[in-house]
Amino acid sequence: MAEVSTTLATRRLTIAEALREAIAEEMRRDPCVFCIGEDIAIPGGWGGAFTVTLDLENEFPDRMLNTPIAELGFFGAAVGAAMMGMRPIADVQYGDFLFLAMDQIVNNAAKMRYMSGGTVKVPLVMRAPIGATGRGSQHAQSMERCFTGVPGLKVVAVSNAYDAKGLLKAAVRDDNPVLIFEHKLLYGSKGARAESQAVDATSDIPENEYVVPLDKAALRRSGSHVTILGWLLMSHYAMSAAESLAAEGIEAEVIDVRSLSPIDYNTIGTSVEKTGRVVIVEEGPRTGGVSAELAAGITERFGEYLLAPVSRVASADVPVPFSPPLEDAYRPTSQRIIAAVQKLLSR
Amino acid sequence: MEIEVKMPDLSTTGGELTVLKWLIAVGGSVKRGDVLFEVETDKATMDVESAHAGVLKKQLVEPNATVLPGDAIAIIEVSQVRPAMAAVAASVPPVEANRQTTSQPSESVSGVNPNTLAASSPAPPRAGMFAENRAKRAENATTTRSQNEQRAAAPRMLPAEISHDQLAAYNPSFLLELYTRMVRIREFEEGVKYLFLQGSMPGTIHQCQGQEATAVGVCAALRDDDFITSTFRGHGHALAKGLSMDEILLELYGAASGCCKGKGGSMHVGNYDKGMIPAIAIVGGGIPLAAGMALAFKMQKRDQVVACFFGDGATSEGAFHEGLTLAAIWDLPAIFVCENNLYGASTRVNQVTRLNDLADHANSYGITGRTVFGNDVLAVYEATKNAVDQCRSGRGPVLLELLTYRRTGHSRRDACNYQADVEKQAWFDRDPIRLLGDALTKHCDVDATQLKEIRDEIVAQFEVAVERARSAPLPSEDDLITDVFA
Repeated sequence: MAEVSTTLATRRLTIAEALREAIAEEMRRDPCVFCIGEDIAIPGGWGGAFTVTLDLENEFPDRMLNTPIAELGFFGAAVGAAMMGMRPIADVQYGDFLFLAMDQIVNNAAKMRYMSGGTVKVPLVMRAPIGATGRGSQHAQSMERCFTGVPGLKVVAVSNAYDAKGLLKAAVRDDNPVLIFEHKLLYGSKGARAESQAVDATSDIPENEYVVPLDKAALRRSGSHVTILGWLLMSHYAMSAAESLAAEGIEAEVIDVRSLSPIDYNTIGTSVEKTGRVVIVEEGPRTGGVSAELAAGITERFGEYLLAPVSRVASADVPVPFSPPLEDAYRPTSQRIIAAVQKLLSR
Repeated sequence: MEIEVKMPDLSTTGGELTVLKWLIAVGGSVKRGDVLFEVETDKATMDVESAHAGVLKKQLVEPNATVLPGDAIAIIEVSQVRPAMAAVAASVPPVEANRQTTSQPSESVSGVNPNTLAASSPAPPRAGMFAENRAKRAENATTTRSQNEQRAAAPRMLPAEISHDQLAAYNPSFLLELYTRMVRIREFEEGVKYLFLQGSMPGTIHQCQGQEATAVGVCAALRDDDFITSTFRGHGHALAKGLSMDEILLELYGAASGCCKGKGGSMHVGNYDKGMIPAIAIVGGGIPLAAGMALAFKMQKRDQVVACFFGDGATSEGAFHEGLTLAAIWDLPAIFVCENNLYGASTRVNQVTRLNDLADHANSYGITGRTVFGNDVLAVYEATKNAVDQCRSGRGPVLLELLTYRRTGHSRRDACNYQADVEKQAWFDRDPIRLLGDALTKHCDVDATQLKEIRDEIVAQFEVAVERARSAPLPSEDDLITDVFA
């Protein structure tokens, strides 16, 4: 084994490190790439809320733009700069703050190409950390659903370091606005920025350059009895549930949906045709979620292969609570995923 | 040719309307823009103008009869049908013919010394429950509410002519070009207004008659490769930045060959190659964008600038504050052009700010701010030229407040009942086209015939453009899903 990994020349990186490396590589490759956001490029600071841009100002002093606390303003500025040929990477400290920038993202970034009859390009990358992490209701939401239904936006979610690097590089090179959702418990942030409930999402990152396409789901585990769909933290919980189910003789196929808009129905469909049973796991509230879109999309496309109705495991239709037992009760767990699979197979 | 006049939907509910009285008798001659009859809606009494010139043949409803939008109201025998306008059956009389009632100087307004009000001290605060607080505040604040109220009379402080001294600095051909551009906007908007009233044009419109000098004065100070951002009231900006009447009309008709392939429409006209991104119809939404465009120019070490148009209403938006903050801290080459036409939709500016001059917002950002008479195209041009120079030399951004007035409704079928007659008159006396036209005939070697020829040529061009736009191919269903992604 040691021999193989030496040959492949990989390094084990966290998501935060992989994103940082991707940003640095893209900024070296293309002088039009720059970062814009709050609390970035501060010597002695944190590199954004989760260390992703730590120390990048040393190499790129003119292209790390620290902003006032003005999400509407700097997301709009990023859109404007993108239209004039730059390739900004704009980030919010918490996904919840995207709502402050909603007008610029939804009304300008997403629509500019269409409204201009295909003459204006908006090569913009937006990054947003999400997920319930003991911070109460306003630094915790999973709001992918608010953007996946916006035509003109591409939306991806990264659940490991390999994807994080490859998807970010692909997003920077794409000529459209791409929104990347990241999860606070998956960053692998260290020191004072570490998260107590963190899950290991490190990957072996090759030395050679690569990108991960923005429109492909990832098969994480093969199985024949049931397909479990998840993304971000939920794809990890789904994997853990699948391992437990295997002990019972149930082989679950796990797909990291990864590309939330557009959705890769080819990969998903191949699995559904094989298993005939689907459980979708989403960290956001059940009502109006991406899982609802997936359920409808699967039923429309592959209904004749389904042996049972599509099942969902999602959070309660309440704001994200603070108290640890409430937060545990709120969010899907491996146990709830296992129970949903067992129920589906018993039908 | 006989044309049936249909009842426009002037109500807010689409419900019944009452025809109160006829102002043109059967057999009487009608000019385009003449009031045919008065109608009572659920909100107000309004005049209905004729979109046609000719003779009123029949009145199809009696006074006090109730009708529904779309009902036939009258028959007009149309005279002088020009080929391009045949479908509309309206001739386009020269602007001045239309303006006779408004272009006469008003004694009561013009007689006021321009400096009287400007020099007067603030009136004492009104007594009332908070009189004491208010008095204290009035002492401290740079502007009081009573000063603010004087703003209702602001036009009286503004000059009613362009002086010889101002003109002397310019080549007459440049002045005539400015005049031509303003007339192009006026005639375009007037023509579109009637096409719209006729129901031949889809969608809604927001027009800029009366504000021509702001668009023309600003854009004349820009280079072709400079950019502008605009608003839902963007036809004038587009024409001033060099878009053709053709490409805009095609867009307004939803044609596949419009400047945005029929995917933008009236509120989103633009042409990237001519330095205008699609207009932004969310109030204030273009301000952060402009900061970002200017940021790109600065990072790329290009010496282009951005002029960002918005109305007085936008200064209350968070986007204004955030966009100007960013532009200020990064010294960006952006000129923020506030066209203060005194109304955000129907709400008067003094109801939504304590500032007397909106340019004073500049103080909050530590940048240059100037208030300029926006109906004087030369004053606008000069102020913008200075702002452009400042921006190109790295000393931007600049906030310009241009005082102007819209002669038409906020959007379609707005009768402007919230604008006081005295205010309207004062501003109509300071119509930007009239100001420059009068100055040209008075101080330069230009006669009225020459100005009329300019207008006639534009009207003829407009008619040809209308003809072309009306018969241009519309997008196909296949076009629906293209241009979403690059």
